[in-house]
Amino acid sequence: MKAINFLGLELKNPVIIAAGPWNRDGAALKESIASGAGAVVTESIVSDTMLDVRPRIACDEKGAQNIRLYSDIQIEGWEREIGIAKRDGGVVIASVSAHTPSELAYLASKLEKFGADAIEISVSNPAREALEVMASHADVVYEMTKEVVSAVKLPVIVKLSQNTTNISKVAKAVKAAGGSGVSAINAVRGILGVDVEAAQPVLSTYGGISGEYIRPLGLASVATISQTVDLPICGIGGITCGKHVLEYMMLGASAVQVGTTVMLEGRKAAGRIVRELEDWLIAHQMDCVDTLKGKALSNLKSFDEMKIEPAVSTAKSVPCTANCSRCMVSCLYGAINKADGAIHVDSDKCTGCGLCTFICPAKKLKLAW
Amino acid sequence: MNIRQIAEAAGVSVATVSRVLNHPEHVAPKTRDKIRTIMEEQEYRPNWFAQGLNFNRTKTIGLVIPYLLNSMYMEIAKGVEDVAQQKDFITFMCNVEKNSELEKNYVQRLLTRRVDGIILMFSSLDEAYIRSVEEQDVPVVIIGENKGVKGFNAVKVDCRLGAEKIVSQLLENGHKSIGLLYGNDPQQESLDILEGYKHVLKANKITVKKEYIKPVENTIEGGYLGARKMIASRPPRAIFTTSDEIAYGAMDAIKDSNLKIPSDIAVAGFGNARMSNLIEPKLTTVELPFHKMGVYAARLLFDLIEAEDRAAEKPKQIILQSKLRIRKSCGHKERIGEMF
Repeated sequence: MKAINFLGLELKNPVIIAAGPWNRDGAALKESIASGAGAVVTESIVSDTMLDVRPRIACDEKGAQNIRLYSDIQIEGWEREIGIAKRDGGVVIASVSAHTPSELAYLASKLEKFGADAIEISVSNPAREALEVMASHADVVYEMTKEVVSAVKLPVIVKLSQNTTNISKVAKAVKAAGGSGVSAINAVRGILGVDVEAAQPVLSTYGGISGEYIRPLGLASVATISQTVDLPICGIGGITCGKHVLEYMMLGASAVQVGTTVMLEGRKAAGRIVRELEDWLIAHQMDCVDTLKGKALSNLKSFDEMKIEPAVSTAKSVPCTANCSRCMVSCLYGAINKADGAIHVDSDKCTGCGLCTFICPAKKLKLAW
Repeated sequence: MNIRQIAEAAGVSVATVSRVLNHPEHVAPKTRDKIRTIMEEQEYRPNWFAQGLNFNRTKTIGLVIPYLLNSMYMEIAKGVEDVAQQKDFITFMCNVEKNSELEKNYVQRLLTRRVDGIILMFSSLDEAYIRSVEEQDVPVVIIGENKGVKGFNAVKVDCRLGAEKIVSQLLENGHKSIGLLYGNDPQQESLDILEGYKHVLKANKITVKKEYIKPVENTIEGGYLGARKMIASRPPRAIFTTSDEIAYGAMDAIKDSNLKIPSDIAVAGFGNARMSNLIEPKLTTVELPFHKMGVYAARLLFDLIEAEDRAAEKPKQIILQSKLRIRKSCGHKERIGEMF
């Protein structure tokens, strides 16, 4: 795979390890770089560290909730940590989080001095800060981005939140303020579940949901942003394999970040995802991801543009002896029945909704004229 | 043992020992280790004052505090100390008892002690005076709002905005008559809080009444006396105070008047001192990032101390944000407000 140019930085591949406790200091960042990732983002660095609550991370098979807040190393200490992280080379993006433009600009300019390669502004933490996430307000994002951009020469990325009514507006504010790119999305506010015997939510307060749960939200946000502004996008949310990287890129991302998968599987996950991406490219006789960028966007249509297609499920006496009735049970229009070891679709009843094509584990049902 | 004796014991020159202390990277590792071992064995402590004369550094900074017993000022001081300690500097803390003559006197004495920089917390000094300190090549950082002083490195919080948020919250909770116990300390911040209070009332077409604005001492006792007087004449539905300490006193006074918080009188403070989350009912207040204010003041000061060309540095201002901390004392009904 050819190296990519992301915000003027040369990355050996588009898979970046996201901000989080797995990148909490120089040694951890160094390990993340060694895993084969294209770049790494530090855990979010703040003006003044605060005590962590316990417990603060929960997970299930589809993702995680965390109420871990920020780096516990003060800005002074990050001079040493960035030095350690970059000892063997590698691209280090410093994530900064604060409440006012002057604070953010101060932190960013220090990190520039310490040798960071880019700045990621994170003002979209869904836990603790405020009922309304800061990054849900385009004007706030504009002021913050502008002050950071004027304080540093490095590329400035802004991490956006799904907790907003109009992510396009926020992305435009980043562009207007001179930001170099956006990353989307941050964890989404949520509660992972409740222990019903104890009437106890899994963590004691609202937190950020990440992992598979949020991938569809991330994909939609990336598509929306790429249809809104001409800014490089780093796609984030629920990436667990090479295919997910391709999905994000085909919807407009130039690079991606992985976090929760690294947390749950270890850093080797980043290397595995890069290899899977590479294998797909080889299988498709490609050596570069650039041509894939936004490729699926042209197939993303408005309701007006969608053809009224008389497509129906075409299963006519498709042999099926499986002891399974999922297609029949789930058909919203009562169009499917099974008899004599075969599936039959009543084409008068079928309205072509398409659900059965996803439900059938053996993919026996298809839509056609 | 002095530096000369260390040099003799190590068989090196005084200059080499001095280099080990100040620029160890310029000394061969073997020699450096040898000298350090001797220093440790002899428990050698360098004379920082003499070093200051040589290198124009005493590794000391001055921190001028308005009033030592105010817990908010102490948290700020802790922030300054935390950074200074990391930098291996000593902090001279001067308690000036809200007295501007004493403040000038202490600043002069800090200068004679050759401090490398001075942080003025909620200072009463004017611009010309502070300028005269900087002209002696001692950088100054100011903590707090001072409208008359411009062009210095400073750390401040928008207290007016904080007051507007909390007074709006009280109105939202249905409290139409809101008394203000006004502490006048720190001066400009208190004025800003007063402005914010008046602004929100006027915006909601509520008359600002003189009897509802009571100047008090910025202490628990001041809050107690002020609230007793306010309750005795015509009690408002809510009492807002310019500091949490005043609020503690007011809560005590409300309880002593056989009234309940928040059902008879709601209370809201300003500052979010540590106790505010522990008293009953828990105090609704505006959080000020005290520790962070101290940390940033020290950061700005060390940036100046370490700057290669101090005169070329543009004065920086770090503006910090206050945050509404909704708890039980204001009589709010939505628990979600307390969660973030």
